[in-house]
Amino acid sequence: MESLVQRFPVPCKNLSLDINGNKTELVICSYEDHFLVMASQIGTMGTILHARKEEGVAIHPTFNVSVIFGKRDEPMLVACARQLIEHISSSGSSRPLVLSLGLKDHSMETMKGIVSSVIEHRLW
Amino acid sequence: MAGKESEYDGVLDSDLVSVYSLKLQDQTTHLSTTANGAAGGLEITCFSELVDDATFHFQIICFPKQIYAWIGCNSTKFGDLYAAASTRPSNTVGVTSILGGSSDNTGSGIARRLVLKTGLNIVLACSIPKNSPMLEANAEKKLMEKLISLGYKQPR
Repeated sequence: MESLVQRFPVPCKNLSLDINGNKTELVICSYEDHFLVMASQIGTMGTILHARKEEGVAIHPTFNVSVIFGKRDEPMLVACARQLIEHISSSGSSRPLVLSLGLKDHSMETMKGIVSSVIEHRLW
Repeated sequence: MAGKESEYDGVLDSDLVSVYSLKLQDQTTHLSTTANGAAGGLEITCFSELVDDATFHFQIICFPKQIYAWIGCNSTKFGDLYAAASTRPSNTVGVTSILGGSSDNTGSGIARRLVLKTGLNIVLACSIPKNSPMLEANAEKKLMEKLISLGYKQPR
């Protein structure tokens, strides 16, 4: 079940779903120059990451993903952001992504669940 | 829930804001209806306000002990991101820029005062142009009004 706020100039999706046994609140917003994705299982925004496509002339795009707030020792979070920015890029958008993950576990199943859920409800 | 305010905030709250509040009430126009996305577990409040020829867009996402807010000024750019929280054991507020806005701190003052007034951790994205104290003050006033109506601060 999801709701789409349409008349407000920033499209935004807000939904609640189960990912790997944990209730997850998912928020996806599309600003003019950024995408914002929030996935929360712990009642806070958790760790915030920034992912962007690098400007370059190489055939294959490169991406820069960094933790800007929170856990810096959890590679699965970075991997999650990396997968999402790559999907954004391959969908034709060069907007960077701000991703906030407040998760109860950092297992691969949870990460895959988050990535697939976000892609399923994406705004790009 | 509200934290203790410093002298500076007392000035901002009383004299300066009261001078402008009458003017703002005359010119405030609600551009669009407030939209609440509540199908998910999180409550998202989105609204727009026209104040003194500037269009502000606001988004507020309420967590149990944290608030995410976005302020757009005449655009839907994400802007600079700030995080603010109260420090322990002293009752001061720490605020930091976490994305953009390294030398100008247009949103950091708003973030800091939101923590003081709500007592919660704040993550604020703000695209108000720098060197615009009136825009800042107007935006902060509207945001605080909405937070009060959502029950985050007891009005004096």
